[in-house]
Amino acid sequence: MSGKTVIEKILSDHSGEDARAGDRVWADLDLAVVRDFGGPNVVLEYEKQLADKPVWDPQKIAMTFDYQAPAKVVQVANNQRICREFAAKHGIPHVFDVNAGIGQHVLLEHGMVLPGSVIIGTDSHMNLLGAVGSFSTGMGTTDLAAGWATGRLWFRVPGTIKITFKGEYGYPASAKDLTLFLLSQIDTSKTIYKAMEFYGQPIEALTLAGRLTLASMVTEMEGKIGFIVPDEQILGWIRERAGKPVEAVVSDGDASYWEEWEFNIDGLEPLIACPDRPDNVRPVGEVAGTRVDEVFIGSCTNGRLEDLQVAADVLGRMGGKVAPHVRLIVTPATTEVAMGAVEAGLYETFIKAGAMVTNQGCSLCTIGHHGVLAEGDVLVSTGNRNFRGKLGKGSLAYLTGPAVAAATAVKGEISLPE
Amino acid sequence: MSHLEPEGEEQMSEEFVFSGRAWVVGDDIDTDMIYHGSYLPLTDPQEMAKHALEYVPGMEDFTDKVQPGDILVTGKNFGCGSSREHAVITLQYNDVSAVVSESFSRIFYRNAVNLGFPILEVPGIAHQVETGDELEVDANTGSVRDLTKGVELQGAPLSGLEKEIMTAGGLFGYLKKELQAEE
Amino acid sequence: MGQTFAEKILAEKAGLKRVEPGQIVTVQPDKLLTHDNTAAIAKIFHEIGVERVARPEISVIVLDHVVPAATEAHAKNHQQIRRFVAEQGIDSFYDVGEGICHQVLPEKGHALPGYLIVGSDSHTPTHGAFGAFSAGIGRTEAAAVMATGEIWLMVPYSFRIVVKGRMPKGVYAKDLILFIIGDLGADGADYRSVEFAGPVIEKMSVASRMVLCNMVAEMGAKAGSVEPDEKTLAWLSGRAKAGFSPVSADADAVYERTLEYDVSDLPPQVARPHTVDNVVPVEDVAGTRIDQAFIGTCTNGRLEDFREAARILRGRKVAPNTRLLILPASREVLLAAVAEGLVTDLVSAGAVVLNTGCGPCLGAHEGIMAPGEVTISTANRNFKGRMGCKDAEIYLASPATVAASALTGEITDPRQFI
Repeated sequence: MSGKTVIEKILSDHSGEDARAGDRVWADLDLAVVRDFGGPNVVLEYEKQLADKPVWDPQKIAMTFDYQAPAKVVQVANNQRICREFAAKHGIPHVFDVNAGIGQHVLLEHGMVLPGSVIIGTDSHMNLLGAVGSFSTGMGTTDLAAGWATGRLWFRVPGTIKITFKGEYGYPASAKDLTLFLLSQIDTSKTIYKAMEFYGQPIEALTLAGRLTLASMVTEMEGKIGFIVPDEQILGWIRERAGKPVEAVVSDGDASYWEEWEFNIDGLEPLIACPDRPDNVRPVGEVAGTRVDEVFIGSCTNGRLEDLQVAADVLGRMGGKVAPHVRLIVTPATTEVAMGAVEAGLYETFIKAGAMVTNQGCSLCTIGHHGVLAEGDVLVSTGNRNFRGKLGKGSLAYLTGPAVAAATAVKGEISLPE
Repeated sequence: MSHLEPEGEEQMSEEFVFSGRAWVVGDDIDTDMIYHGSYLPLTDPQEMAKHALEYVPGMEDFTDKVQPGDILVTGKNFGCGSSREHAVITLQYNDVSAVVSESFSRIFYRNAVNLGFPILEVPGIAHQVETGDELEVDANTGSVRDLTKGVELQGAPLSGLEKEIMTAGGLFGYLKKELQAEE
Repeated sequence: MGQTFAEKILAEKAGLKRVEPGQIVTVQPDKLLTHDNTAAIAKIFHEIGVERVARPEISVIVLDHVVPAATEAHAKNHQQIRRFVAEQGIDSFYDVGEGICHQVLPEKGHALPGYLIVGSDSHTPTHGAFGAFSAGIGRTEAAAVMATGEIWLMVPYSFRIVVKGRMPKGVYAKDLILFIIGDLGADGADYRSVEFAGPVIEKMSVASRMVLCNMVAEMGAKAGSVEPDEKTLAWLSGRAKAGFSPVSADADAVYERTLEYDVSDLPPQVARPHTVDNVVPVEDVAGTRIDQAFIGTCTNGRLEDFREAARILRGRKVAPNTRLLILPASREVLLAAVAEGLVTDLVSAGAVVLNTGCGPCLGAHEGIMAPGEVTISTANRNFKGRMGCKDAEIYLASPATVAASALTGEITDPRQFI
């Protein structure tokens, strides 16, 4: 038998079986996470099915409130309360409340996400943690409740596509553009339910923030998980926060891939996903001049300090003021990012430019919160989804990187950064 | 959802044969169209049911017109987007008997299985069936007959673990059966 | 016989030598303030059958209530207001993120001594702190002002409140006004103009004077005011867009009531659920568990408020199971708070710093409670359901009291931390 891919190794390790693509295995969970969206449903389902039965391991459960932080309607306030009460009752220590930020990013910063781990959560972008080699996946209420009860779940072992990038690119192109490029090139009927492993010099050159960007949109590629092997620097970063030794999981040299693809991204230019799909990707130049009403810089895809820094730099270089008819909303991913942004003077830049800086969290991406659009409004966002009407019936959304978003906010129309 | 009595290892019961009217929608219907994000705070399934398919163009009156037993037919990549189980529940609680799609997005697929909500993948289905057609769907064999058009199509029925979970009425039904078997 | 402040301003604006309380006068306001309700007002205005706003130059419109838009309905409302502003040529329009209308109005130089200001918001009296006669009116009246440029007003009776003694440490303008409201009752100053005077008032900052005037509405008053002095002029320096002539009450003016308060032994005050005049000393409610603490609003969302809060919270942590929300009243306040390191202090302590706006004060956004929860807040109202949940409780207090309570997780006398 040939060697194993990353996912085969992880699921073998967690199931005690020789897990291969196509198999069904029951794997042990390292962490089962809920948000304030999905969380209350899990609590209610758990209590309906299992009443007061203790959870399998309170240390391996976490709650992260990021969907509507803080609540804007009573139901969500109540939902958050239901979750807190359940955590208190079951002795679950890891409750990251409305002041913490986007769940996956918070867990990562707290050293709770290790390479090679199996993590489930009520968010379809859990899999952005593949950026550090963790098999993290979004699941529904029933899976989470069952996970809380037993600590294990059934998985179909996905086949893996090996994707290698070649070539070089420079600013203003970014990890987001590499990601949008990939989205535009793949056939989702092939990537559906696959794992991906990313290789090549352009991938190795990505910082943690860039890797999170790429991994976060594997969902939009219909993939199950996208792995990037963490380098020494990232492993060191994780080790420090986890307080324990960690090693990357690396696929075997003779691992069997479903397919192998190569992409050349020499001269990659800034790209933008046009309404209504994330793979409706075009060069920014093709839609430049489109008038916009709102710009959002943030999200689990582009909400890290590095992203905010890029945006602030562009704002500074282009006159430091948002166009009068544009609402610019900036949301740091986590408290750590927010503090970093304050210290780096980015808050001042954004506020003076006329932006609204909101508290850390998922912000407008989930329509949970704010920045909802009116009919006819056009949004440019650094998020990961732009399906029709998602952020307001009759509105249109474009997806792009922080530099283009910032330039667009200044000009009031889709623009390339200067 | 009722818990089913499996008759044997390989068989699902007759409850996996459905007859009903078809509602046809296109490709890439994402979870916000099936169940919009603004309704996520709801936890009562009866309330959730009121918003099924609300954001799918042309389906705004679906919840008024849908009849128990109706079958939803879709194009590719149905249920893409969020992991919200609400998307399955909202259909279940409108008494939609099954969803037959060209292909399912992975999380929706999984959620449907875990909730014991019958699904079937049938290549080409969305182009062959029209809204209002009378369908007969056999999830055991994967066959779909469009009685109105006199057309028969073959899909891939669930098998293996997914089939067992579906047969047991969902993941908790399956887990409880397992626990009973152990005792 | 001399005239009170209200009598003098209204006489002048009406072109009369003198007026008597109870007399109806027709006057041209210097400013008309409206906010997110502008669209509703515009609707009435159109129903009157008038096409053009009579005096667009007096209109000041600030979007602050639900910002950025929380639902499609709010987004549409904002969109309609923007269109109305453009169509009518209203220059003084401040879009989402600028701040709360009662902070933005004076910051942008629209609240000046001797001015007559009317606003479609019950806390319009805030601007009496600048020596203006500033009163809240209804939507229909606001529409009439838009249509005709003038308004009829009944001259109110006047109270004079003289405040003596020395403000103790840990006791602030908020405590003073809560005490007065508790003393006079919710309708104790019904339709009155309330003038604040005396050595304690003279020593107060402009921001503190705004606290007093902001809350006169809670005792039924039509307007509140403080005589402008060098502090007022210093605050306004560089902001006023027009010339102005301060108006002062005559020394021999006749008041319906003159009240005297000595603050030397005043302890911090708290308004208990569910009315603003249900005021007691903090020790009467100390120890009450709180789920949420809120510092912000047009009452107490200014730099001096955040300085006090940060002073208490610096280097410490908010109690577990208690959420602390911080809402700066304007972009300018937020910038200053960032520059002074207050945002860093507050976020480090575990607070959620929200974007500028009214936030949860009126139950529409960002900080709603679950049934059974308790909030202590620096806002001006605590009616049942005010913050969005009928089965929750709101206590009102000063920023220092709220900050101290956030630290301990229960209502706490701030003086132990000062």
